[in-house]
Amino acid sequence: MGVIMTAESAIFVVKTTANQERSVANMITQSARKEHLDIRAILAPDELKGYVLIEAAAPEEVEQAIQTVPHARALVKGQSSIEEISHFLTPKPTVTGISEGAIIEITSGPFKGEKARVKRVDEGHEEITVELFDAVVPIPITIRGDTVRVLRKDEEKNA
Amino acid sequence: MSEQVCRECHRIINGQTCPICGSSNLSADWSGMVIIIDPERSEIAKKIDVKVPDRYALKVR
Repeated sequence: MGVIMTAESAIFVVKTTANQERSVANMITQSARKEHLDIRAILAPDELKGYVLIEAAAPEEVEQAIQTVPHARALVKGQSSIEEISHFLTPKPTVTGISEGAIIEITSGPFKGEKARVKRVDEGHEEITVELFDAVVPIPITIRGDTVRVLRKDEEKNA
Repeated sequence: MSEQVCRECHRIINGQTCPICGSSNLSADWSGMVIIIDPERSEIAKKIDVKVPDRYALKVR
């Protein structure tokens, strides 16, 4: 090293064991620091299971960095650009796409598997207030926006 | 894992207070990890406006 390289960076994709993305990212960082590799940043988005994204100047640097890292399986052929992965950097609120009146199914927590109608959407707190279908008395409950799956967008429109 | 994220600067830290901004406003509910190694030449660092190499969370609740 010593020479200041101004080569443009590209994004390389490394396949990992599922659920080991964060540990792989940490270990690649250590290995890059130890071997003075030109790796600039590592991205492990939760949406991308089984892969980590690495910003580096050349694929050889990435190849060398993952040699000693367990759970890092292979460098995916080819490269990507910053533009293609920039949507990972600005995560959209989890309640996006959930509208009032929509039919949802709760995917975790004590009401897992229950179907409900959305009464209110709180974008700031990323929470939604729903009423369960199977409840005898309609009780509004507030749950997190990422623990639901939308079954039908808007009841009124389809009726 | 006891890794928490500072709500002020989005750093992933171990401990009760953020060593950089001194804030104790932490959250264990975060997603998406970014490790910035070379902020000078990293395009990702520029996009998320980071100037110090560290580990960051993309989203903190």
